[in-house]
Amino acid sequence: MTTGHMEMGIKVVGVNHRTAPLDVRERFAHGAHEVPGALARVMAAGASGGVLLSTCNRTEFYLVADDEPALEAVWSLLGERLSSTPSGGAREYGYIARDRDAVRHLYRVSSGLDSIILGESQIQGQVREAWEASRAQAGPVLHRLFQTALHVGSRVRTETGLGMGTASAASAGVAVAGKIFGDLAGRRALILGAGDMAELAATCLSDQGVQITLVANRTQERARAIAERLGGKAVSLDEAWPHFATTDIALCSTAAPHAVVTWERVGTIIGARRGKPLCILDLAMPRDVDPAIAQLENVFLYDVDDLQTVAAQATARRRDEIPAAERIVEDETDLFWAWYGGLGVVPTIKELRARMDDVRATEVERVLRQLDHLSPADRAQVEQFSQALLNKFLHQPTIALKKAAEEGRGYGLLEAVRRLFGMEPPA
Amino acid sequence: MSWARPVSGVIVTLHLVALALYGLATALTLAPFMGFRPAPRVLTIAIPCAGAAVHVVAVSQLTLVGLGPALSMLALCLVLLQLASERLLRGSAVSFFAAPLATGLVGLALLSGLAPGAETVGARNTWFVLHVALSALGLALMALAFIAAALYLLQFRELKARRFGQIFQLFPPLERLDQLNRVALVAGFPALTLGVLLALGYGAQFSGGLHVAKAQLVWGIFTWVVLGWAVWVRVVRHWAGRRAALASIAGFGAVLLVYVALKLTQPGAERFL
Repeated sequence: MTTGHMEMGIKVVGVNHRTAPLDVRERFAHGAHEVPGALARVMAAGASGGVLLSTCNRTEFYLVADDEPALEAVWSLLGERLSSTPSGGAREYGYIARDRDAVRHLYRVSSGLDSIILGESQIQGQVREAWEASRAQAGPVLHRLFQTALHVGSRVRTETGLGMGTASAASAGVAVAGKIFGDLAGRRALILGAGDMAELAATCLSDQGVQITLVANRTQERARAIAERLGGKAVSLDEAWPHFATTDIALCSTAAPHAVVTWERVGTIIGARRGKPLCILDLAMPRDVDPAIAQLENVFLYDVDDLQTVAAQATARRRDEIPAAERIVEDETDLFWAWYGGLGVVPTIKELRARMDDVRATEVERVLRQLDHLSPADRAQVEQFSQALLNKFLHQPTIALKKAAEEGRGYGLLEAVRRLFGMEPPA
Repeated sequence: MSWARPVSGVIVTLHLVALALYGLATALTLAPFMGFRPAPRVLTIAIPCAGAAVHVVAVSQLTLVGLGPALSMLALCLVLLQLASERLLRGSAVSFFAAPLATGLVGLALLSGLAPGAETVGARNTWFVLHVALSALGLALMALAFIAAALYLLQFRELKARRFGQIFQLFPPLERLDQLNRVALVAGFPALTLGVLLALGYGAQFSGGLHVAKAQLVWGIFTWVVLGWAVWVRVVRHWAGRRAALASIAGFGAVLLVYVALKLTQPGAERFL
């Protein structure tokens, strides 16, 4: 995924479900409140724009930056989150894509082509949220990139069958519970957490006839809203633990930074179920449920990775749509690259020429004031000479800028030219 | 009185046709595990149905005395139960075990000979036919309980280990398998009990008609006790899930072991034991 350019350009640095196991991804995950701080740190290292996309499947920094030291800052930032640092640091789990590859990567991500569940639609909202959370630091190029990424995601979903059928983690949870209980109608479920994912999964269960008995959350207001909609009762988390003795399904999706369903809290309670199966669906990131709970004989515990694996199997028929989706991604990458390549080149060249011409004109005028004896023909010669000289001087930079634009490296070079000649940064 | 009467070619041919159809059904059933596309459901039902139909005709012409006829009867009961349970489970998982088992039983029946055993006096008597049919049904139900238990344990292991491969996809839900195990045991016990009672009634009415070996008596009673125990732990002690599955497997295994042990000590195909 690398092209080897060393100047300022678009980069994506990160880890995803292909490169890092769940427990590593958990450590790299950034909550919304952590995004500005993380981006500020990377931008302090030289990036001129940044967006941080952090979901349960990926943590990716989209940057407009030099290779070094901004990328180094990202690895350092991620590496600090590892409990034991492998020899290669965080980069052992990660990847870098540059320029056109980085653009294509984001377009594939927003289309669901890079998701565990092929074509899943949740990523579209997560890309939007990441863009909005990073709006202050994104800069014009990444604004445009994320804006178009959302457009590409929409195009792929409407023009191909990549999003057809249900293949979310939530629906996979229903499928897994179905393999334990058979008919889900009349089964009892308790929900821990009241976020979007909890609500979505609870709705999936409710659609199958599962009775949502409790919705437990740290803040009751949101829990009450879901409980009212699905027919359950809103309680606090502490009130939920005894219900692990009677429920059939526990759906956990809190935003807690550590496991809340621990052996100490529910081990004895579940042990008293006399072998009655309990299906625990842990959709949270980081995980809500202590993995030790799965050691209890009739507890069937599934986390996000498990459910996404199940869902991925259900998406086999979506694979037929991959070529059509990839074509859209490629077309849109070409369009973005054309825009990015030519970004501000023409106006910059115009502005540069105008500035230089102003300088030339001022200087020629100053010189000609001192050379009163020159005839009008000689004055014209001097004027002509100065213009020829200016053209000679600007010829090479103009050619280089146009060439860089054609190769998609215009933005980085433009920024250098603007810095060198004291022009305003591109809008 | 007929003695080691040769079996008709029709019966053997019908058994061979049934064997071929069961073999084909087994191949279709196991195809997904060998990386082939699953066969259309209509085929996986129609082929064993056709096999069972041919088999019914063949069994109806058999004199149900001796190892071969007993195995043939057992195989037929198993196939019929397989077809019934597939309706209950809405899937073909039972056939993963039942189809090869039935194929093997028919093959064994053919190998050991379908001719009746030594004595056939009274073998066409209704009580005797009912005794054999109900006993075979009871054993087949016990085998079905074993199959459901084995499927349960395999699916249980996959679910606990979070593996979502062919077993997860193709096997039925745990609770449905548990339910099948319970139904098979609960139905099997009265069938076998009736089979045993009919044997006693037959013995009382036609004493001296058919010789009952001690081994037959021991195995019959042992099987009845084991099945009774399996039903007792399920119904009275409320065992369910993995523990009940293990009990079923242990019970069926014990019955099979005792049968093999007795058969080895008293070889010959004159009787089923």
